[in-house]
Parts: sequence; structure tokens; C-alpha cells
Amino acid sequence: MTTGARAETATAVMRPRQAVIDGAWRAIGPGVELLSSDDGGPLRRTIKRIIDPLVLRLRSNTQYSAPFVDAAVASAIHELILGNGPALCAAAAWFEALKRERRRLRITTGNAQELYFPVCFELAVTRGAPSDADSDAATTVLRGIHDDRDRTAIEVLNQFVSDQQVVAKLSEQLRHSWRDVRAGTEITGPFLSGLTTVLGPAESHRESVARQRVWSALIADPTPYNLGANAHDATTSLPWSIVDLGLSSVEPQQSPTVVGGSAGDRPLNRCVVDRVRATLRRALDRDELPDVPLLCAEEVDRSCAPWGLLAEDNQAALIAGIEIAMDLAPLADVVPRYHLASLIQARLRKEAYVMHARRYLAEGGPIHPRQQQVIDDLSAFARPYLSRLWARLHGRDVWQEPCADVDDVRSLLEGVARSVSLDHRQRIKSMLQVAG
Amino acid sequence: MKLVADSGLWSTGPPVAAGPLVAVLEVSGAVLAWPIDESGPASITFTDLARADWLWRVLGEPGHSALAAAVNERLPHDAQTIDVTGVAVLPGSVDQLRRLALGHWMRRWWPVSQRDGIAALDGALVDAEIALLTAAAQHFFADDTIDSDVAGLLAPHTAALNAHVQGGDPRVVELVRAASELTDDVGIVLAEPAPTRRRDDYALAAGADRGQRAAGAIARGTDSIRWAGVPPAVFDAAENTIEWVVEAATPVANVVVDVQLSGDDSPSGIPVRLRSGLLSGAAVLDDRGQARFGLIDDQRQPVAESTAWNHDWEGTEVTVGADVDESPETRLRVRDFARARLAAPAGDAYLAEILAAESDY
Repeated sequence: MTTGARAETATAVMRPRQAVIDGAWRAIGPGVELLSSDDGGPLRRTIKRIIDPLVLRLRSNTQYSAPFVDAAVASAIHELILGNGPALCAAAAWFEALKRERRRLRITTGNAQELYFPVCFELAVTRGAPSDADSDAATTVLRGIHDDRDRTAIEVLNQFVSDQQVVAKLSEQLRHSWRDVRAGTEITGPFLSGLTTVLGPAESHRESVARQRVWSALIADPTPYNLGANAHDATTSLPWSIVDLGLSSVEPQQSPTVVGGSAGDRPLNRCVVDRVRATLRRALDRDELPDVPLLCAEEVDRSCAPWGLLAEDNQAALIAGIEIAMDLAPLADVVPRYHLASLIQARLRKEAYVMHARRYLAEGGPIHPRQQQVIDDLSAFARPYLSRLWARLHGRDVWQEPCADVDDVRSLLEGVARSVSLDHRQRIKSMLQVAG
Repeated sequence: MKLVADSGLWSTGPPVAAGPLVAVLEVSGAVLAWPIDESGPASITFTDLARADWLWRVLGEPGHSALAAAVNERLPHDAQTIDVTGVAVLPGSVDQLRRLALGHWMRRWWPVSQRDGIAALDGALVDAEIALLTAAAQHFFADDTIDSDVAGLLAPHTAALNAHVQGGDPRVVELVRAASELTDDVGIVLAEPAPTRRRDDYALAAGADRGQRAAGAIARGTDSIRWAGVPPAVFDAAENTIEWVVEAATPVANVVVDVQLSGDDSPSGIPVRLRSGLLSGAAVLDDRGQARFGLIDDQRQPVAESTAWNHDWEGTEVTVGADVDESPETRLRVRDFARARLAAPAGDAYLAEILAAESDY
């Protein structure tokens, strides 16, 4: 079958967003070299850390985030970047100042661009270009960045839960919450068959709209809640084993404790304090530091909620993830049930091909016996996949970020596969490099 | 441009089988592959077209838009193709990526051989140059991939790179200086040079008891390493480097295998198997590339010395590492390729190749 010519004419006026950004950047002229690559375009990190979040502000201006933009949006992007030209030049000057200061203070931790770019732009907007008198400011900024920011919040947490009365009170709350979670009697069939659409293809606008409509219905469906509540007692009615999925080490799922977890705990077994600690660690990029007692109380309820998640859309996303994960096997030829799983599986196979082509794997197996453990892990891909997906959904649940947009959920499911695969492959690589 | 199906993904070219003859590069949303010793276009397989946001640099803006519109979430089935008329890879737009892929290939497949006289490349310099090329190609790595890790390339070599600076070759000094600017950004400190362990020390020691086993041989022969079945930097890349001897010993026959080494990594723990008709045996190599093991028959019984004398050893196969299919011609082509690069360093040569060529006369 041959197709394609038809689609071409329809998009003649659409431009790749990155090309528009590149063109606007070059139009700024001299002064931004430190934020540019050798060929004069913006650095990848300039786009990621400055242009997207601070100049185009993609969070509120979603029209600027499409991979292809029409002429009107392209010109708006162009004007916005060009209009920020003076601030960007000042940001480049601040970056130079911070790098000089970094060297003087002999700081070597972290990636300078990744860490300093946003603050450089903020300094540029609030103070303009740095002057000779600003070296104190640079020192302060660097100290602020490199001081262990999460330490403070975690210390507050440790102190809070060292109080026996606090722990007793949270434990009491936990007993009640756990008891209150009860499954309803609704049937699960419609939800699971709806997933076929959500995880299916959409080649036309109409199909995309339909896919979104189905997802909107699914996140209002009681099935994810009921399945999660069933995992607490009647394991027989679950379509999968939560132990095999790596979400829990026991069946049925036991009520979590407030304190006393250990490092290797599966997601649903983690104690409340460990969950809060993870939240605080991930909160690095957030301006507002959350109120620790409130976080703990909320986490007690969350840990008792089905799948350890309060929001129904997050629970639904986890079920979608479980269904995807069952279909994935980077080192084997399997035929997934869902379109999206087929796509992810094909990518995983290609990534395994790269490892094979690079002599990190022999065809489908280890190239050195040392790698066997990682290879075994790879054949149980669902476990690390769901651990990571759960952690991402937990973060969304805490910050009340919705999972209502079907494309957003799909890209989450894809992104988790990408990062688990990269992590696995780096381990395969390093297992070879360990001296024998 | 015509897109074809490559195992469930869209690809611009014929699939290139993994192995010693292919250079690959994993960028954001795509894997590029080239046969090392043929000039020709890259085979670009899109793992995720939406994340390949660099594609306009390679196809031009209209080409990128047209290709994205034509694919539009379609999952490729075996015989399916998509014609995107008027779209082609812009001349020169992937040259640096090919060079990068070739660098990664050299790290893993360069056929170092004392026996065949193919000089080793300096690993620290190859990695430093790959790191610089990766940083220069950063637009292609919007997502982290297995090939985007600049810090990971430089971190193991800090001492070696410092030592190179003291060697004083201006080309090397310039490369290390450029790399150290990268290390500054990614949080690596160049360390003081430390003495490195050299393989020659124990290669000599290993040689001492080689040859002593000649007496009492029932049969002997050689076999070749299949490169794709073993890690790099362990074995000599010549043919017939696996020497095996069936020794007369009572009460059972023993096999001694001795594989020629070349490189910094240890062969210790790599499996070795002998198959000869109904007889077989298996073990793992020690850190000198040797193994000694008993033989069993098809009933899993030990093979007596007398049976070994009467056995026809013609067609005996010894496999080192994983069992893979790889022809001697493939390895010959790779050695020819490496020799040609050393004989006349190409325009895209790495500094490490040029230095190896200069020292190789």
C-alpha cells in the first residue's frame, strides 16, 4: 500500500516548531553566544530551561507547544523570542558571571547549564545585565543553588515523625482510612474494553476526539477504584497478580505502616514517611515548600486509597499502564494486544538492536555472564516499568496534576518505557565495564 | 523519500543487520545505521517521530512537515510503504552523525590484533573526541539516549587525558583542552595522572607455561573467535586464535584451550565449549584466556583416554562466548576496513586513528 501524497498538501503551511525557534534565535544577533551552539542556534538546554518555560511559557501558552505550528503561531513565537532579546543577552552575561564564580568557588557538582540557565534568565529580567558590583549576587545565587535544598524539608519531616504521639495519631488515622476503602460491585468489562480505544491508533481528527471522549468516560468509571480496593482483600478477582506486577511483595496488599520501611519496598508496601520523603525530594523545582504535617496526613489517606493514589484519573492511568506493561518484552518477539504497546515494543526492540550492534549484547542474550542479572530483569520489564509509572503518578497525585488528557497519559506511558529502557541499557553497559 | 517497515517502525532505508559491519547512532526519536565500509545514505529508523524534532535539519522544513503528515500515527505492517514525494536528506546534513556513529563503532569493534598487526586506538582520545562531537550534535539529543552521555564518556579517562597533555603533541593537547571545557560544564574534574596497569606484564607470564603441554596430545586444532559473541578489548582479532589440545591423561581425556588475548579487559569467566561429534565439554576461561576441562559423551559420561584416541577429531568446533552466527568473511572485511583507515587516514579520521597510523610503520 502506498499513501502520503494527500497529506502533504494539507500541511504545506505548517512549520516545525524547533525550526521557528532556531530562526528567531539567530535573529537576536550577537550577545547570546554563551547560550548558543557553535552553529549559532540555541543550545538544547537553552530551549529546555529558558525558551520553553520562561519565554514561551508553554504551561499557559499551550498553542506554542505543538510540534508543528501555523504561520500565525510561528510569527507570535518569533516576536516573543526576539522581544526577549535584550533579556536573553543579559542572561548570557549572567551565565558567564556564574560560571566564573563556579570556577572560583571550585564547585564541580551538577551540570552548569542545567542548573544555572533558569536563574540567569530570572536575574536578567529582574536586574538587567550584571555589573561589576554584582559578583556578590553571583556568589549568593550559587550558594543558594548548591546548598542542599531538600535537606531542610526532610529534616523537618524526620523531626516531625520522631514524635511518638504524632506517629500514633497518624497510625490511628491510617486504620480508619484503610477500613473505609471498599470495592463496589460494578463490572470491569466495559473499562477494559474502553482501553482498547484509548491505547489504540487515531489517524484522523475525528478519531482523536473519540479517543479523548472514551478516556474522559473511563476516568469517571469505578473500575480502577474497585480493582485497587479488591487488591486489599479479595485478590482472586483481579485480572493480574500485584506481586507479579511488582507493585506489592504480598497478596493481598497489606495496610502500609506510618514508619519503618526499608529501601527495597515495592510501591504499595512503602511506609507513609518514605512516600512523603520521595515527595520532598521531587519538590526541588517547586517554589513553595509544602507543610509537612499536612503532607503526612494526606499521604496516610493516599496510601490507603486504591493503588495508593487518590485521584481517579491517576488510578485509571495506572490500570492503563498495567495493561501496557504486560505486553512489553525488550528481548523477545511478542505480539502486544494494544496499538500503543506494539509501538513501544517496537521501540524497545530497536533499542535492543542498538545494544546488539554495539556489542553490549549478543543476539537476545548476555555477551558476558556478568550481565545475566540485568538480562533477567529485562525479561520482567513490567516490574520496573510499573514502579516508575507509579512513582510518576504518585507525584502527579500529590501536586494534583490531572491525568485527564488522553495524549498526556499516552506520552506518560511512552516516556516511562523510554526511561526504564535507558536505565536498563546503562546497567547492561556498566555490567560489562566492571573489571572482571 | 520512501518509508519502509522495519520491525514495526518506519525506516528510510533497508534494514541493516546488527554486527561488526554496522555503525549505529541512537538520537532522540530515531536510530541511524550505516554499513561501515560502504558509502551510501543512512538508514534512519524512527522510534518516535514526534521526538525527532531535529528532522528539519536533515530534511529541510517542508520535508519534515511532509513526512510527519504522511506518517501520522500509522503503524507499519510488513509490506507497507509510504512515498513522501520530493523529500530527501539534505547533502552533508548527517555527515557529523555518521562520524559519531563510526566513533562509537571504533570503541566496540576496532579489530586490534598483534598477530595481524592492527594497532590499537587510544581509548581515552577516541572517547574525548566522541564527547566533543556529541556536544556539538546536541540538537539531536533532546532526549537522553544511550549515546548522549558526554559525562559518562569522559569520566573514566580523567587521569589518562591529563597524562596525554604532558606528552606534548599539540593536536592531543588541543583535543584535551577542548574536552576539559566540557568536563567543566558537566561536573568532572580532571585528575592527576596515575600509572596504568599494562597487559604486557602478564601476557609474558602467561607465555611461560605455554608450549609445555605439547607432549601427549591426542589431537589439536584451532578455531576463531566470533566477535559478536564476546565483549571487546579482550581477544586478539586475528583468525584461528583459539588453540585447543586434547591431552592424553588418565583416566579421562582433558581438553586445554588457550586463546590469544589483546586488550585491557580480562577474559575471566567467559564460557568456552568444545563440540566434536558426540563428544563435548565446557568451562570458563581464566584470566589468561585458558581453560582445562574434561570431555563427556552423549550419555553425559566422562570420556576415557582410549575413547579419545579412537575418536575422529575432524570437524571439532570450539566456541568462545555466546553462540552466534558470524562468517570469517565478515571479520576479514572489518580488518580490511581498519587497515585501509590506518594506511590512509580519511577526512573523517579520529585523532586516535591518525596517531595509530603514525606509530604503525
